[in-house]
Parts: sequence; C-alpha cells; structure tokens
Amino acid sequence: MTRDTYLKRSLGTQANRIRESRVLLVGAGGIGCELLKNLLLTGFGEIHVIDLDTIDLSNLNRQFLFRPEHIKKPKALVAKDVAQKFRPSAKIEAYHANIKDSNFDVDWFATFNVVFNALDNLDARRHVNKMCLAADVPLVESGTTGFNGQVQVIKRNVTECYDCNSKEVPKTFPVCTIRSTPSQPIHCIVWAKSYLLPELFGTSEADAENLDYSEDADNVQELENLQREARALREIRQSMGSAEFAQKVFDKVFKEDIDRLRRMEDAWKTRKAPEPLDFRELEETLSSVEPGISLKDQKVWTISESLAVFKDSLDRLSNRLKTLQASKDGSAVIEFDKDDVDTLDLVTASANLRAAIFGIERKSKFDTKQMAGNIIPAIATTNAMTAGLCVLQALKVLKGDYDHAKMVFLERSGARALNSEKLNPPNPHCPVCSVAHAKIEVDLSRATLNDLVEDVLRTQLKYGEEFSISTELGLIYDPDLEDNLPKKLVDLGIKTSTFLTVIDEDEQPRVNLQLIVVVPSAPPSDESTIVLNRIPEIPRKPQAPTPPPEPETNGISNLGKRKRDVDESELNGDPPTKRVASVSISDGVDKAHPIDLSEAEGGAILIDDD
Amino acid sequence: MTFAQRKQWRKDHPFAFYAKPHRTAQGVLDMKRWECGIPGKKGTIWEGGLFKLDVHFPDEYPTKPPKCKFVPALFHPNVYPSGTVCLSILNEDEAWKPAITIKQILLGIQDLLDDPNPESPAQAEAYNMFKKDRVAYEKRVKQVVKENPAI
Repeated sequence: MTRDTYLKRSLGTQANRIRESRVLLVGAGGIGCELLKNLLLTGFGEIHVIDLDTIDLSNLNRQFLFRPEHIKKPKALVAKDVAQKFRPSAKIEAYHANIKDSNFDVDWFATFNVVFNALDNLDARRHVNKMCLAADVPLVESGTTGFNGQVQVIKRNVTECYDCNSKEVPKTFPVCTIRSTPSQPIHCIVWAKSYLLPELFGTSEADAENLDYSEDADNVQELENLQREARALREIRQSMGSAEFAQKVFDKVFKEDIDRLRRMEDAWKTRKAPEPLDFRELEETLSSVEPGISLKDQKVWTISESLAVFKDSLDRLSNRLKTLQASKDGSAVIEFDKDDVDTLDLVTASANLRAAIFGIERKSKFDTKQMAGNIIPAIATTNAMTAGLCVLQALKVLKGDYDHAKMVFLERSGARALNSEKLNPPNPHCPVCSVAHAKIEVDLSRATLNDLVEDVLRTQLKYGEEFSISTELGLIYDPDLEDNLPKKLVDLGIKTSTFLTVIDEDEQPRVNLQLIVVVPSAPPSDESTIVLNRIPEIPRKPQAPTPPPEPETNGISNLGKRKRDVDESELNGDPPTKRVASVSISDGVDKAHPIDLSEAEGGAILIDDD
Repeated sequence: MTFAQRKQWRKDHPFAFYAKPHRTAQGVLDMKRWECGIPGKKGTIWEGGLFKLDVHFPDEYPTKPPKCKFVPALFHPNVYPSGTVCLSILNEDEAWKPAITIKQILLGIQDLLDDPNPESPAQAEAYNMFKKDRVAYEKRVKQVVKENPAI
C-alpha cells in the first residue's frame, strides 16, 4: 500500500511500533473526530474511542465525520463506522458510554500505550488524569477555546499532571449587579436567564446558581426590595395563558421595577439612570417587524423586534408549561437550555429590552447563546491543528522520549501561531499526582475496615497511630472515628475500583497513599481478606509545604498565568490566553521549536521539530 | 477540611464550642460539611445561648473561604435572612486567608454576636431594631437565646 510506504519513509522503524500500539481516545467531538482520523492515517493499529454524547445539528460544521442523517446517533459509534473506511485494517472499538463508568477501571486503562483526552469539561479531564496516573499510562491532554489550543503530555513521576496547577472556576455575579445596576451585556443576559426565566417558568430565585448573595452586604434595603419584586413577579404567573400576560410581565419588569430603581438616586450619581419602556407605545411599532425575526440569529434585534420575540416566546413557553403541567403533576418547570429555542428567544429578547433600558449594548441571539450557554465558539481549524499536535506529541511518548515532549500552545494573536515549552516536573505538593500508588485485592464479602487498618496499613505498611482514610464520599477512618472499624468495607460504600486515600499524619509524614480496590485474583483464603499486590515505596513528604494554589515562578515561565484552563470561559470577553511568543525568547534561551506561519513563505509551514 | 485540622480542633478548642464533620447514614464523614455550635459570650446578652452553624467548605477551599450559615437563620444585623454570616474574614475579596482556621472563624463569629458591624447590615429587621430601638433589640436577642439554649 502506498500510504504505508510513505509512513515508513517518514517514520522509519517507528511505523511498526505505531501499528502495534493500542490507544484510547476519550471524546469523539471537535478534537476527537480530527484525532481519530489522524490516528488512523498515521497507522495506529488499535484505537478505542469513547463518548457518551449523541450527535447534534450544531456539531456538523466541524465534527466532519458526522452528517445530517447521523443526528441523534451516538458519536462514538458513528465515528467508528465512518472513520473505519480510512483504514479498514485498523481495529477500532467504540463505546457509547461515560468514561467515569466503573467498568472502565484502572486495569482497563493500563491496557493502553497512550490515552488521548479530547474532552470538553473539567470533571472528565480530572477523572482521566487520575486514572492514567493510577494506571501509569501516558496521557496526551488537549483542549481548544476559539482560536487558542493547547496540548500537554502527562506522565506519572515525570511531568506535571493536569491537577498540578489550580484551575479557574466559573465566575459568579453579585446579585445587586444583576438585579439593580447592570453595566455589561452579560449582566442583562444573566438577569434574563437566572432571574426572569426561572421566576416565570421555573423554580424560585434562591436557587439561581450564578447569583452570589453573599456580597452586596451594604445594600440590605435593596435586597429586601428585590425579594418583594420577585414575589410580585411570581404572582403575575397566575395570569399565564391570558391575553394580558405578556403586558403584565413587561410592565412589571421593564417599567415598574425600573421606576423603583430610578428612585435609588445614589446609584445613578456615577452612572446613567435607566429609562423605563412603555408597552403601549412600543406595541404600536410592532407592525413594522418582519415575521420570523426570531430566526435571524446574527442580527441584533431592534427594541421593537425584541418586543415581538418577547411576546412570541412567552406564548410558546406558556403553552409548553401548560401541556407539561397537564401531563405531569403540576410541578413541571422549564429551565434554560441554550439549545432550547424558546428559552433562548425569551432570554435574548428580555436581555435586549433590559439592555436598552440601561443604555447597554444589545446582543444578537447567536452571541447571547454563547454567553448564556457559557460557550466559546469552537473553530474547526483550531481543532484540526490541535489534533495534529496531539499526534506529534504521541510519537515522542511512544518512544518514551519525554525530554523532547512538549507543552504546546496554539494561538492567533501572538507573533507565532505555535509556541511550546519543556514539560515541567511534577509539583511535589500536588494532591493528585504526588502520591504513592498500590492495589488491594479485597474480598468484599468479608473485609472490614479493621482488616485494612490493622493488617494492611499498620502491619504491612508500617503506619503509626495517626493517619486517616477517605474515599470520594468522605472520611471513613481516623483516630477519632474508630466506630467504623468493625464495619464491612462495602457498608462504607467501597466497591471494586474505589480509590482510597491514606493520609499520614505522623510527625514526619509520608506522602499520601492511593489504594485502588480490585477483584481478588485468587480464590479467597481464610487468613486475609485484603491482599496488597506489592509493597509500594512511600517516601516522606517534602518539607514545608507551600499553599498549593500559588503559581510557581521558576525563572522560565509563570505557569499560573499561562496555563489557563481551556474549557472555562471568560465571561468578560477577554481571550483566555494572552500569552505572547516573546516570553520564551526574553528568557534568554529559546527552547521552543516554533512552527512559523509566515506569509512571505507563501503560506508554507516550516516544521522545526525534532 | 483535613484530618489535621480536625486533630488540631480536638486538641485545642474553646470551651462550649463544638465542630464536627457531617456524618452520613453510612457512617462516612463528609469533610466538606461541618456542624458547629457557637455559645454566646459570658457577660453579654447572648450568654446562655448555643447557636447552630453549618460550615460548608467549597471545592476551592482554602483558596476560597467556607460558607457559614446559622441553622435556623439567626436574628442578627450581620446575618442574612438565609442564615449566611456576613463577616470580613469569610469574604474572599476582603480578609479571607487560606491559613485561617475553623477555630478562628468560630471565635470571630462569636465576637460578632455581641459586636455587630453596622457597616454591613445583612437583614433589615435586626439592623433597624439595633439602630433605632436598642431596648427592643436586646429583648428580642434574649428571646432568641431562650429559643437556642446551651444544654
């Protein structure tokens, strides 16, 4: 086959290793589709692909393995079927499942030569990171946001892991900013999504997740007023379905509440006072609104157009809620979903009406969807380039050449499209990777916590008096919690694949020990209910731990700033990565091996990579 | 919250206070949710009361402070109607530091009981009474103490 001839020519003897390798691809979405294709064309012999999602219309612009007829089908299975044609001889296994399912245990992870993360959320990334560390399998982690991409090689005891640096958490807004003094489009959108929509069609405001009630302490009066307003709005719910419903809601939130806000004179000394809207006046302009305006999602609607969509979407949602309540028990609610057009229409229209009141820029439905859904546009080119970088890193990983494996950044704004840096060693205080690992074979029908504490930890592993044991559920043992000792481990929620963390609290503590529960390999013996596979080496903890979230400054880079988490969007519109190429140059030693996207070269890509 | 802090608390905690992690039905301790009790200080109108406080440690702890909530909500100018305590050392943007211990938090809240901060009112009822009618305020506090007796 010609293709293999060329592969052999460019990869040499490594082509064989690639053909014999067995790899896992977690995620068959934006990066996943590209990566599956790359892996096949590079000659990887056995590829397992897992994704819990089904195909949505909105995926088709970039997840190129999928076509309209595949909508609602499982991504992993369709990706396998379509991509198999690229290389019929390759073995592809597809799983329409959650990678966190317990059957994907450490032993299963350990069967792979490399794992690729092509995920879109922090939780699953952390899980795969943890499993790969436990199984001692190298992980190629990747992610994109808009024009930025990032690829990172993670290998236990050699490099930093995904959790060696703290990740940013989604932002919350003080409630008064949202309810009384908005100044940005996002404030209006959050108001519509987390206050107006839930008060009209969902559960009450106290549950709104991105409102922060703990601040605004100086505004007690205002908070009380806001609660009164919410109650009044809830009463308007009673007239849902009547012809006046839309006007009642409108008059309440876009007139009365605004009139009241205007009386808070202190607030408008430094900013422009809001101008209430008049329903009757605006309604007269509705005849000029073209039908089907809500479908124009790239256009920024005028105030009249927003009112038209406001009325229309209220009708649609009211009817839906009626139907839902008739079929259910009356407790039915409609919650915001960026892919639920009715809720998105109401949020866009209401946010725009509110923005007009406060003199804030209005946003199109398309933009509102990104902002309300906390999403950053996914760009096919970024995904494709990032997936390509994943393979380049994987080639080094397969050789065990971690000295040359890199952390690679892709960006549009800097002097270069691509920047890379050497991988950092593990953070010695990382709670996830700076731990000792061991497996315990547990006879779950008999083993008690006491068996673990006395036989395994004290007798075999020489732990002293002071240590604690916890699972994901919480603490199950410490010297103050001895009444759990006679309990069976199963009764404490422990089963196969459970991770147990043993924290040494001695004078000179050893590093945390992570125990993984596995099924016994031999039939249960009478003596011991828990068998330790091997005695792990558990070194002492490094001295004087520093507070973990502080970024390290080692003279080469400031990782805390640079390694922004790619799936946490920035609500204020700043691009998440502001890193410029000059960083590595100004450090004196240019360790990077850039790819130069130079116009002068006629678009030629010069790959300078060893 | 770590075992070390639990141990520290056991070794050295102020009289009449308590702090223990929430225990699930299975007997597992949820180290993110602590149930605490704060006694009213001797010689103050709060004396004789023991006020139950839920302390919730977020995933980002200790970067972010724990959330402290009186259960049931407490009549006090700096306690929100939801029961959440408004105190500078519990505010990420103010005086919170990752090194602050549960003991310091509970003592800080005890101090706040008799020494409210009128700069950051959190509920109108207690705040207005505190500002305008101290006699009625103290009477009401004594009622609250009666409803939450230290046993």
